[in-house]
Amino acid sequence: MRIAVAMKPVPDLLQIRMKDRRPVLEDVPVVLGAIDRSALEIAVELKEKTSGHIVVLMAGDGRLEDTVKEALAAGADEALLIRDARLNGADGSLSAHALAAGVRKIGPVDLLLFGEGSTDNYSGQVMSRVSEILGIPQAGYVRDIVVEGETLIVTRSLEDEEEILEIRPPAAFSVLSEIREPRIPSVTAILKARKKPATVLSLDELGVGTGSGAGVETVSTLAPMTGRKGERIPSLEELVRVLRKEAPGGGA
Amino acid sequence: MDFQLTKEEQLIQGAAREFAEKEIGPAVEEIVSSNRVPEEILAGLRELDLFALPVPEVYGGAEAGYVCYILAMEQIARVCPGVAVILSVNNLAAAAVNIFGTEEQKKRYIPQGTRGDTAFSFAFTEPGTGSDPKQLAATAKKDGDHYVLNGTKRFITNSSYRGPIIVFARETETDQVNAFILDKFCEGYSVSEPWNKMGVKGAPLHDVYLRDVRIPAENVLGGLGKGFWILKVAMALGKIGISSIFLGAMLAAYEDGLRYAVEKTHRGEPIAKFQAIQMAVADMFMKYESCRWMTYRLGSLAERAKDKGDILKDSAATKIFVTETAVDVARISMGIHGSYGVMEDYRISRLWKDVIFGPQVEGVSHLLKVLVAGEILRK
Amino acid sequence: MTEFLAVAWKAGEVPELLGAAGTLGGGDETALLFLGGDEEARQAAARWGALHRIPGIETRLADTGSVAGALAGAQKALFAPVVLLPSTRRGKETAGRLAQILGAGVLTDVHRMERGEGGAICCHRYALGGAAVSVQRIGTAVQVIALDPGSFEAAPERGPGPVNELSVPLPEGSVVLREARPRVRDTVDIAAADCLVAVGLGLDRKEDLALVERLARAVGGEIACSKPVATDRKWLPEDRIIGLSGKKCRPALAVLLGISGQVQFTVGIRDAKTILSVNTDENAAIMTLSDYVFIADLREILPELAGKMDAGPG
Repeated sequence: MRIAVAMKPVPDLLQIRMKDRRPVLEDVPVVLGAIDRSALEIAVELKEKTSGHIVVLMAGDGRLEDTVKEALAAGADEALLIRDARLNGADGSLSAHALAAGVRKIGPVDLLLFGEGSTDNYSGQVMSRVSEILGIPQAGYVRDIVVEGETLIVTRSLEDEEEILEIRPPAAFSVLSEIREPRIPSVTAILKARKKPATVLSLDELGVGTGSGAGVETVSTLAPMTGRKGERIPSLEELVRVLRKEAPGGGA
Repeated sequence: MDFQLTKEEQLIQGAAREFAEKEIGPAVEEIVSSNRVPEEILAGLRELDLFALPVPEVYGGAEAGYVCYILAMEQIARVCPGVAVILSVNNLAAAAVNIFGTEEQKKRYIPQGTRGDTAFSFAFTEPGTGSDPKQLAATAKKDGDHYVLNGTKRFITNSSYRGPIIVFARETETDQVNAFILDKFCEGYSVSEPWNKMGVKGAPLHDVYLRDVRIPAENVLGGLGKGFWILKVAMALGKIGISSIFLGAMLAAYEDGLRYAVEKTHRGEPIAKFQAIQMAVADMFMKYESCRWMTYRLGSLAERAKDKGDILKDSAATKIFVTETAVDVARISMGIHGSYGVMEDYRISRLWKDVIFGPQVEGVSHLLKVLVAGEILRK
Repeated sequence: MTEFLAVAWKAGEVPELLGAAGTLGGGDETALLFLGGDEEARQAAARWGALHRIPGIETRLADTGSVAGALAGAQKALFAPVVLLPSTRRGKETAGRLAQILGAGVLTDVHRMERGEGGAICCHRYALGGAAVSVQRIGTAVQVIALDPGSFEAAPERGPGPVNELSVPLPEGSVVLREARPRVRDTVDIAAADCLVAVGLGLDRKEDLALVERLARAVGGEIACSKPVATDRKWLPEDRIIGLSGKKCRPALAVLLGISGQVQFTVGIRDAKTILSVNTDENAAIMTLSDYVFIADLREILPELAGKMDAGPG
């Protein structure tokens, strides 16, 4: 089974600081999103079961070669890196066109995996868009994937129910982080990742034209105003009083 | 000069940190109270290849450099120094076999040090040697194409695990000191009850008794009369591990002190607002940073040295400086904690019992300083 | 001709979608397309007025490609340039594919909308894991907007209306639904709880959870936690997680114990009516997000606090 896993380089959320209500992104390291690591983990499991091959797809405007090493250490076989200044702050539509072109570039894949949302923006639309561009069936919020002969048995987890779906490849899925716990790569795997091939292409080289964005414009990004007063409680007695006052049932 | 870790080094550091926090962290209390490391943790460390980093892949090693080794040990020790000690002794002995062993010996013994259910030991110290190698009393008597070993080895790490052990003994006929490699728990091998050590729990120390242990002559490591050379190399490499471990313990003490300074309040203000605490925070930072870069540099020296014995001066100096500074930092951190610092509910009390080990083991500081000075003055 | 097409899978989603359209001036003429299953659900949805349905789609809902194809047909048939959907998992998955077919921009998890310059719809949504709110506008002629459930005022019922069957092609799909079953979950749903007592990594002894439980009982709350308490320490089940990778909760009272307030957590609790935090770190981010703060060491105060709350008033 040939599997492509789309992974998004995201700023390490734990290291973002706010200054004057604006996020400071300079010097924040770029890492792989946690959910994308889970997507790679199920890919590795399926690869091992079907003696398959995994290509990581990554699109962005920064230095992707370093970021992708973690994915290559965690079991991917090769990487296609789509690097282009136009991808800086790209909306989901341009990212989707870039990734779809990447999938076409690497040749036929049976399975295309995504995290269900990136930890930075979480719009959760790219998998659906890529599926439409490629004209393949899709399933979102997947909690498990099992291969049954020529068919993939997929568990989609919605808010109140679960669906067990039968889908024949090629197909695209977005997975939940709970699908698999991502492995910690071994030292050997990390060192060997250096030798795995990583191709870098620009949007022009992939034939992705300038009209591919869907014109989502960001007016502002600011830390929310809380409007909470942060009143200091001076003593335990006072804490007990406040808890009783605020508890919906009146407390005890 | 570029003080940046490579991406690979960052990833190895991150992998060790993630494993330590997720898998070792929740088990630390159990490790400390039982003085044993649960088998699944050892298996997990094996999966990560932390049992034999600087050893070629053909023997089951990871073929990583010493900087990677240091970064990994530091992160493991930051969470539990005892676990790192098991790894460090194993890595050291596996590296020694890789340097001095015959092809046969490497194929037979090194993989045993990479499996996680067996571990290497390194046995030089004896009740009578102290830190003076010349006093070595264990004997090896030639008997046809075999040697018969007798003696007692003191404070031997990993000696209760199955696996290979490197034993130093004096050949009775020639009076030369040789290193031998053999399997623990062969006939005539036994261990004492573990020493009741005060810290660095999880890596129990036993005395090893050798009573008429009969081994083939080809089990000599590195050739006859090469014992002291092997010892010198092993001392140089062993001190890389010890330095990394106490660097990790120092980092833990620093982090605890810093957290307490920010979280503990006095009259409604975090104590970090007081200048006395700020002095302490700056001191911890300066000490940790200086030790960290000294240790990483030692790794870089070790990677480049053809004869690892050549780095003994730097290795010993780093070991002295890092272990003693770790005690300083733990003391400063404890000072920040005030009375809570001596309560066992606070981790700094455990770290105190860990860091105090550093200057006492693997060559006490004053003795190593004589060695370092000797090397400097000889030039 | 209407500006808005509201698409709902469940009757319960209808009032908020119409309410949201209403705040932008899309009153009674907002078109409602109901995809939901049986007659009963359809009648429930019809209490908000006329609705459209696409015959046969009920049995194809699991096939996002087919549904999005049919919705694109409906959008064209009804000439509604703005498609509103619920930002449920189903809604979000569909929104992306629909937008791609329509050449539209899409925004999901939108919790507030208003008119900006030239009547453009400005959408508010969390970014950077909840650390910030982005205000975004879609520049394409057709817009697809998925609305965060629970964030918009419900529209009043409009009285039963007629059901119009749209004749739009329903594309063939290749996704087969083998089985649908209710999700197995904890019997407690923290997202629906009126009061939550949530613990973070600042609670460093597992045995103290018993005290937290007593406190929760005393205030009539459910226990919840930040992610690492469930995933790393495994002290509580994962469906007790508040935040980006857990539940978004809106209790009347949230008592946060030893929670520092990382953005991934706060996005799940910031809509609580009242937030009370107990923390040792007065610089913790959570302090600026709280109505009340109490600076203390949990180890020291929990036994006494649980005891005093147990004792009842007076």
